[in-house]
Amino acid sequence: MAVEIAAPPARGLRGIAAPKIVRVIGRRLIQAILVIWGVVTMTFLLTRVFAPSPVNLFAQPTDTAADRAEIAKRLGLTDPIPVQYVHYLRDVIHGNLGTSYLTQRPVTADLLNKIPATAELAVYALFFGVIVGVTIGVLSAVFEGSIFDRVMRLLTSAGLALPQFWVALMLILIFFVDLHVLPGPTGRLPIGMQPPPTVTGFYVIDSIITGHLSTFWPAVQQLILPVLTLGYGVASTLARGARASMILALKADYVRTARALGLSRGRIWFVYALRNAMLPVLTMFAGTVAWALSGAVLVEGVYGWPGAGQYALNALENSDFPAVQGFVLYAAILYVLIYQLLDIAYSFADPRIRS
Amino acid sequence: MTTSLDQAVETIAPKPGRLSRAAASVPGAIRSIRSSPGALSAGLGILAFMVLISLMSVIWTPYPPAATGVGPVSSAPSAAHWFGTDSVGSDVFSRTIAAGRTDVLYTVLVVVIALVVGSVWGALAGFFGGWFETITLRLLEVVQAFPALLMALFIITILGPGAINVILVVTIIPLPEFVRLARAEVMTKKNWQFAEAARMVGNRPLVVLFKHLMPNSWRPLLAYASVSAAWVCGNIAALGFIGVGIQPDAVEWGSMIARGQADVVNGAWWESFFPGMGVLLLAIGCQLIGDGIAARNRGEQR
Repeated sequence: MAVEIAAPPARGLRGIAAPKIVRVIGRRLIQAILVIWGVVTMTFLLTRVFAPSPVNLFAQPTDTAADRAEIAKRLGLTDPIPVQYVHYLRDVIHGNLGTSYLTQRPVTADLLNKIPATAELAVYALFFGVIVGVTIGVLSAVFEGSIFDRVMRLLTSAGLALPQFWVALMLILIFFVDLHVLPGPTGRLPIGMQPPPTVTGFYVIDSIITGHLSTFWPAVQQLILPVLTLGYGVASTLARGARASMILALKADYVRTARALGLSRGRIWFVYALRNAMLPVLTMFAGTVAWALSGAVLVEGVYGWPGAGQYALNALENSDFPAVQGFVLYAAILYVLIYQLLDIAYSFADPRIRS
Repeated sequence: MTTSLDQAVETIAPKPGRLSRAAASVPGAIRSIRSSPGALSAGLGILAFMVLISLMSVIWTPYPPAATGVGPVSSAPSAAHWFGTDSVGSDVFSRTIAAGRTDVLYTVLVVVIALVVGSVWGALAGFFGGWFETITLRLLEVVQAFPALLMALFIITILGPGAINVILVVTIIPLPEFVRLARAEVMTKKNWQFAEAARMVGNRPLVVLFKHLMPNSWRPLLAYASVSAAWVCGNIAALGFIGVGIQPDAVEWGSMIARGQADVVNGAWWESFFPGMGVLLLAIGCQLIGDGIAARNRGEQR
């Protein structure tokens, strides 16, 4: 049996204990930076060491070996690998991810153009997923074994098992083709409609702020199906997590004590158990963000949504490495940052970890 | 002398669970499945059904799955074409069951490779520790920082599509978790009495690891293998859907859904619906097996 030995409190300069909050955030920040460095290094290895040389993409068929060598030199491919690596790190820190072979524009500029569309979709989907998923999970746990619980377990299992692109197609079939209640997969607005002036990049919000109310409802309608598609998976994951965590919390000693003290069931469920049960769900949320980013690639394609996911998909189909690498790199960095932020939040929300 | 000591080692070892003991004999295995919790038997039933259908499709399908023009174009399900026909007049039923062969086979292959490689890697890291373990853990942290499907898509852009490459990139997704699980199992058990005893009788470290520690650590790994199979088949289908899957012309669920995509807006639901059901059935079957094994593990710990 391993004996837990309490670590001595970490101390700042001159042996003075740094404030707890600084220590926790500092440690997390260093960890995040190390992981991001690893991520950047791995993308470097994959694109520069394992990928076929991009010279062929720039060279004309008539180019001689000397011309090709010239191109390789211009692309910096003749430098030794460590030198290329240093240049790569410098470029990434400056936000320079190279030029897309396809659009001939900097990848970062392309992505910044596309991100608002993806962000609008992902933010609403995550919002939907958290509210619906946690509610279902908590109710399933409280009424464990009921018909509601069984039906929801079936639905959430399907939500994890079904490919998102298939769900997208079936939703289009039901709500657009059969019922005619929602618009077809034409992107963010019906064909021919002008977007509202850009303030936040979210069409729904921009149409209200700038007073272009005529685009508000069409923008909402276009969003419903993609948000449901992505949100279904997020809700399924969180519902299963929340259910398991809540069932555990309901069996805890403090719940029995609270019951013995005669507290109302509602108070025990939603004040005592819920607060403890939600902590593990907090960390699961980071995973659903990664899931939504992956899903965006598949779902945006089906709905014609002009976001970063569709950009990456397009790049993928045309072997446009810099563009694919840019999207993957940004997605990974975003995921690491969200994960670490949630972990910091977690350590402050749970006094057992804080101390 | 050695034999009796070895026997002693075996008796000190944690009691093998109901499943492993019962599974030692075929009638025992059947009894074990019959008495197992609903989830496990339902999952095994679904999986057996899918394997059976896939095997059957090798010798018989109503129409040749790869053939085009065996019926009218995009016709609804009928007596002649149970699942209808697609945009090039292929029979959707024949294709769906033939595709099951591809998807089930690749899912099983990927999970087995990830399970074996991940367990051995994780076990070595947990058993020997040191720099090997440190590097392993850091590497896993970096790999897991990439959203899973994006990582797979990124690598396949570099390597190009094809059967071997699909297996490789899809294996990378569940691999880190197998390594972590195996490492944790071996680390907690390497100082238990049975391992100590196995070492004491003079077994070499690798023998202790693979003959004594690993056989007592397989259950959480197996539960995770079943659960991960559910996303593995989803990811294989996703690569096929995008068109960077096993082969451009392979009969596979994901690429079938992609072929039917354009017809969905015309109301021809059957072309994409049935292959999606295939993915759902396979994934749910694997999930149920995983849930069943996990429930059984919990039950025995109590």
